Amino acid sequence: MLKFTKITLSALALITTSLGAANAAVTVLGWPGGSEETALRAVAEAYNAQSGVADADKVELLFYSRDGFYDKLQADMAAGSSAFDINLLATYSIGRYASYMEPVDLGPDAAKVFGESVLKTMQFNGKQYGVPTDLSLHFMYYRKDLIDALLADPAARAKYAEISEKYLGRRLEPKAPDSWTWDDWAATALYFAKSVNPESPVRYGTVLQMKNLLFNIMVWQSVARANGGDWMDASGNITIDSPAYRTALELYKKLYDAGASPKDSLSYEYAETNAAFGSGQVATALQWNAAASELTDPAKSPAVAENVGIVAPPAGSAGRADHIHGLGLGINKNAKNKPGAAKFLQWLATEDTALLYARSGGSPALLPDVAAKIAKERPDLVTLGQYAGAYGYVMTGATSASAFPVYELQAKEFTGYWSGQETLDEALANTKAGMEKLLKQ
Amino acid sequence: MVDLDHKGWRIFASPLVGFLLLFLGFPILIDLVYSLSRVSFTNLRSPEIVGFGNYGEVLGDAQFWRASWFSLRFGVITAILECVLGLGLAVFLSPLIEKRSWLMAPLMLPLMVAPAMIGLMYRLVLHEFVGPVPYYLYLWFGDSPSFLNAENAFWTLVVVETLQWTPFALLLFYTAYRAIPNDVREASAIDGASARQILTAIELPLMRPTLIFTFFIRFIDGFRVFDNVYTLTGSGPGGSTTSLPIYIYEAFFKQGAIGKAIAASVILFLASFVGLYALTWLSRRGKGAAS
Repeated sequence: MLKFTKITLSALALITTSLGAANAAVTVLGWPGGSEETALRAVAEAYNAQSGVADADKVELLFYSRDGFYDKLQADMAAGSSAFDINLLATYSIGRYASYMEPVDLGPDAAKVFGESVLKTMQFNGKQYGVPTDLSLHFMYYRKDLIDALLADPAARAKYAEISEKYLGRRLEPKAPDSWTWDDWAATALYFAKSVNPESPVRYGTVLQMKNLLFNIMVWQSVARANGGDWMDASGNITIDSPAYRTALELYKKLYDAGASPKDSLSYEYAETNAAFGSGQVATALQWNAAASELTDPAKSPAVAENVGIVAPPAGSAGRADHIHGLGLGINKNAKNKPGAAKFLQWLATEDTALLYARSGGSPALLPDVAAKIAKERPDLVTLGQYAGAYGYVMTGATSASAFPVYELQAKEFTGYWSGQETLDEALANTKAGMEKLLKQ
Repeated sequence: MVDLDHKGWRIFASPLVGFLLLFLGFPILIDLVYSLSRVSFTNLRSPEIVGFGNYGEVLGDAQFWRASWFSLRFGVITAILECVLGLGLAVFLSPLIEKRSWLMAPLMLPLMVAPAMIGLMYRLVLHEFVGPVPYYLYLWFGDSPSFLNAENAFWTLVVVETLQWTPFALLLFYTAYRAIPNDVREASAIDGASARQILTAIELPLMRPTLIFTFFIRFIDGFRVFDNVYTLTGSGPGGSTTSLPIYIYEAFFKQGAIGKAIAASVILFLASFVGLYALTWLSRRGKGAAS
C-alpha cells in the first residue's frame, strides 16, 4: 500500500511539474489553416531556437478551426480564459476585444518596419493592442487581353462610348486600368456584359460580391470612400446618408440590374468571386489581395492566369481609396505569462522577424525600403505596401467595439437595397438609425 | 413487477430530477435573468436588470416577425411537401422495396449528410460557373435563372430541404404501410373496393398516427432550420432568408445583443410550447373521435 501511495504521489508530482512548465510557456492562439498559420509556425520555431529565450518563455501554438473563430474567441475571452497568452485580433474587431486585452509596447523600431498607418490598424483609443502580422486590402483584377483589345479597336471604343452615355449619362473613352475612375470601371463592366453588349467576348463585365456578409461591405465601401464617404464626422455625427454613399450604392445596383454581374451575385462572397473570374467569363473583379496567388496561378486558374492584370481600386471624386484591415497578435488580459508574451510580440515587430514572416508565406504590410529587401521573393508584398501606404484607410469608428455589428447592419440594409426590397432612402435611414444606436452605446 | 410506494418513487426519481434541474433548470434560470437584463459579453457576470425591455424590443422588431413568418412558412411548406412525396413514394415503391430491400439504403443516403454540408454542396451545385445545374441549363436553354436572389432563394431552400428530408418521411410511411395487415386489403378487395378506395378509406386512416407524427417532426425540423440555410445564403439579401434560429444567432454573436437574443429564444420557447400543446390536444381529440 505504501509503495502504491509513493508511486501515485510521484506520478502526481510529475504531472504537476509538467503542467507548471506548460503554463510557463507563452501560448499563442493564431489564425488557423492558411498562410498565416504556416508563417506563424516558422517564426515561432525560429524564436524558440534562440539561445537567449528561457524555457519558460518558449512559444507554443494553439489553433481553433476557422468556422466561428471570432464567436469562440469572444466567448472564451468573456469567460476570462487563460488558455492562451497571446490571441489573434483583427482591425474590425479590436474594439470588441480590447477590454479583455492588455496594451503592448512594440518599441520604437516597429514604426520603421510597418509605418504608422499600418500600426494604426491594431490601435484602439490611441493604444497599441497588437503587432500587425498580415494586412488585407483590395486589388482591381482585370483581363489584360480583353482591355488591350478594347483599347486597340476603334469600333469597340465607339460602342463603349455609346454604352457609357446610355447607362452613365456621359460619353467616356476607354482608358488603361491604372487610370480608371469608378465610372470608367463601370463603363468597362457594362461594355463587357452580354446583356448590354451581345458582342462581348465574355458573359459579364464584372463580378460583384453582394452577399449579406460584413466582409463584402469592406470590399464595396472603397467606392464610397473614394467619393469622400465616411461613417462619421469629427463630432461623432453619423454621415452615412451622404452623396458619396448614395453614389456608391447606386453604382452597384445599376451594374447588377443591367446584368453586368452574375445573376446570383447577391449570394456571392470571396470563393464565388474567384470561381467566376477564374472561369474566364468575367472581365474585371474587385477582390481581396489574397486572391492574387490563386488567380495568377496557371494550375489553379488556367483560363485567365496568363492575362490577369492587377491595379489599385479606381479613383472617385476624392481620389483613390483602398480598405485595409490587419490581422495581428496581442496579449490576453488573463495571460499567465504576460512578460513572456510581451517579449515575443516585441521580437515579432522587428525587421528581421517581419521579413522571416513574409518569406514564410505571411502578408505583412512593410514600408517600401523594408519590402524592397524581399521584392524578388514576394513582389506582391511590394504592391501591398505601396497601396496600403498610398490609399489605405480605416473608416472612422471602424475599430470601435460596435464595428462588427455596424458592418453587419450595413450588409443587411445595403443588400436589401441592391435586391430591390428597400428603397435607397429606407436603407440609408435604417442604417443611420442603427449606427447611431450602436456607435453611441 | 415491483410496486413502488411514494417514498420509493422519490428515491428513484431524484437522480433524474437532479439532472434536469442542473442541466436544464439552471441554464433556463440564467436565460430568464439575461432576458430581463442589459447584458453583453463585457458584463456577462454582472448583468444589469432592466425589466421587460428586451421583450419589447424583440416584439417591436420587424425583422423578428419577418423571421417568424419565414420559419412558419418554411416549416409548413417543407413538411407538407416531404409528407406528400414521402407518402407517394412509400405507396408507389412498396412492392419494389418489399422484393429488393437493399433499395432502401441508397434512398436513405441524403439523411446521412450533415445539413451544413448540404448547404455547402448546393453552393457549388448552383454556382453559375462551376455548378452542373446552371451548366446544363446554359447548354440546353442558353440561360440559367438566379437560384439564390431575394425572389427565388426561399423556394430554392425549400427544394433543398425537401430533397434531403423526404427519405425520412418515406422511411416512416413505408414502415407504417407495410404494417397494415394484408388481410384487411384482401377483405376490402373481395367486398369490391377499388385500389383508390382501399388507399383512401383503409390504408390512409390506418396510417394516420404516423402521418400526423411525421408531419409534426418535419414541421419542427423545418421551423428551426439553421445549418443549410446559413451555409447556402446566410441571412439572405436584406435578411430575406433569416429564420428564427438565424435571427437569434445573429443577435447574440454578430450584434452582441445577448439580452435581446435570449428574450427572442424565450418567446420562441413559449410559442413552441403553446403550439405543441395545442397540436397534442388536437391529436388526442382526433384519436377520441376515431375510437
